[in-house]
Amino acid sequence: MSSSDSQLADWRDHALKLESEINKVVVGQQQPIRLITTAIFARGHVLLEGDVGVGKTTLLRAFTRGIGGGYERIEGTIDLMPNDLVYHTYLGEDGRPHVDAGPLLRCGESLAVFFFNEINRARPQVHSLLLRVMAERTLSAFNKEHYFPHMLVFADRNQVEKEETFDIPSAARDRFMMEIPIAVPNDSDIMESLIFDTRFHNADKLVENVQPDVLHFDKLNDIAVALQDHVQASPTLRKYALDLWLATRNPGQYGVKVDGVDLQRLVLAGASPRGVSMMMRAARVNAWLNNREAVLPEDIHVIFHETVAHRLVFSPVYEMRRTEIARELLSGIINAISAP
Amino acid sequence: MQKIITLAVLFMLTLSAQMARAEDGETSDPRVSVRTIEPERDVGYTVGDILERTIILEAKKPYQLLETSLPITGNEQKRKNKGSGIEVREVRLEKSTGVNTNTYTLHLSYQVFTNNIVAKPAILPAEIVKFSGEGKNFEIRIPSWSFRISPLAVYGSVVVERDMSGFRGPLTLDAKRDYQLLWLALGVLGISLLGLLYVLGTYSWLPRMGGPFARAYRDLRKLSATPEDLSQGVARVHEAINATAGNSVFDSAGLLKRKPGFAPMSAELERFFGLSRNVFFEPAAPHGIADDPLGWLRQFCRRCRDCERGLK
Repeated sequence: MSSSDSQLADWRDHALKLESEINKVVVGQQQPIRLITTAIFARGHVLLEGDVGVGKTTLLRAFTRGIGGGYERIEGTIDLMPNDLVYHTYLGEDGRPHVDAGPLLRCGESLAVFFFNEINRARPQVHSLLLRVMAERTLSAFNKEHYFPHMLVFADRNQVEKEETFDIPSAARDRFMMEIPIAVPNDSDIMESLIFDTRFHNADKLVENVQPDVLHFDKLNDIAVALQDHVQASPTLRKYALDLWLATRNPGQYGVKVDGVDLQRLVLAGASPRGVSMMMRAARVNAWLNNREAVLPEDIHVIFHETVAHRLVFSPVYEMRRTEIARELLSGIINAISAP
Repeated sequence: MQKIITLAVLFMLTLSAQMARAEDGETSDPRVSVRTIEPERDVGYTVGDILERTIILEAKKPYQLLETSLPITGNEQKRKNKGSGIEVREVRLEKSTGVNTNTYTLHLSYQVFTNNIVAKPAILPAEIVKFSGEGKNFEIRIPSWSFRISPLAVYGSVVVERDMSGFRGPLTLDAKRDYQLLWLALGVLGISLLGLLYVLGTYSWLPRMGGPFARAYRDLRKLSATPEDLSQGVARVHEAINATAGNSVFDSAGLLKRKPGFAPMSAELERFFGLSRNVFFEPAAPHGIADDPLGWLRQFCRRCRDCERGLK
């Protein structure tokens, strides 16, 4: 085993340790936790979507504690403006105005997690700034270029509330590697413990149970590059991924059917090249987490919905049923495309 | 007076009976009996037609026919110095002798040499033949026979619906080519129906034949033991599995969920997907098939075919 292989094996242990730490405090969410772990090692931003009070914020806070590094958070509100992310002004004790760095700049290059709570409450101007920061990990402010090489954006939103919210444009959605649905656990024992176990009542104390700095945030970029190089994709798998991509653009041509939907009119835009590239990065990480050296179709299946669904642009007439149609469409694509 | 009238009536009745018998082709001379066999029909003759009648003369011994009294070939009987248009064409006599009788069978052929624009009555003329015996000669009259001569063409305008002569029968067209086409079409129809049956039977002649695994097995038998053929064979079996399940299948559970009949193949399906992983995705992945993976693949496909046919 080469040093690179052993290093990857060590990091896999760290990753699994992080997962188990998170699973201790956020119960019944094994699959979302695996997906977020995957996104961290694929260096992709994560958008959580789910109902109110299902633990989205707690889950993301728990991860940020485990990753270590600088952590900043901002709440999405209707009056939030882009400059609120960059700086804030106040009158100091000396009676003179002062300008301080905002949440994006406060930690400098050591910013590891930028947590945007309820992102859909922020205005499109804020989304626009975030779009650049997510894509380029840089920001121009105070006549200077600021870099955030280790930053991951974790954001959450709930789809139920429509009052005073702004839909995230598809260009901004495309910057997120994954959109992960968070649902209430089905297991009645877990549901009961969420009600009666007092340790779940105080989220701040609960998050403190996660061992801090399980991962070294400043090493994640290097290890991500190493594992992407290490995990192979055979020609058959490349062809399969390509077929999946093409099917998201023109599902009717691949024999995919969705009840009550005219597939010729459904998809205005399929997955983007960046989206499919992110999908393959996540699939490689999943193969690595499962101790494999090559990607299998199953690795793609595990992350297919979460990496692709939020990128699809549907005709407005189908937007109201987006979640349901996207799930059925992507399942249909998996069922229709064979590998080999 | 009453008696005289009665006798007269009886005489007339006897005479008419005698005449009737003569018209029917028999004479009343006790020495010679005459019987005639006439042509089958008595209408529809036209110029050039030949009519044949046979006269059987049975004379008691020692009476014999005088052959010189027979009709002469080429003779045409005349009426009021006008030819009747019926000419004797051939006369042929056959003789036979019995215990008490001499039998003469006379074959007479007449040819019609007349015609008309409408139907015309005609007769084969009565013939007189002579017999001799016991030093005396006497005559026997062979009765005439009436018939009608038909025109060669219908005179005037023809109404086909009324031209329904029972003797001519319906006009028929030559249907030979149509019959040939009919048989050809029936042949094509039969072959098409067989083809349709074959297609509807999902390309199999019997139920459960020609399923995805059966077809894959046939293809696998043509492959050789090379890496290229092995990957082709694995892909072919994947095709069969997908076709059986009705969607893409990536593990044994995917097939068993759709087709529980393959449950006996569970362990081998796992090995197959291991082999597929090795061939297509991860060459270092173990698959547990020691040697001749293509041979194993053929056996696996054959067992799947048996499952498909419900034999396991």
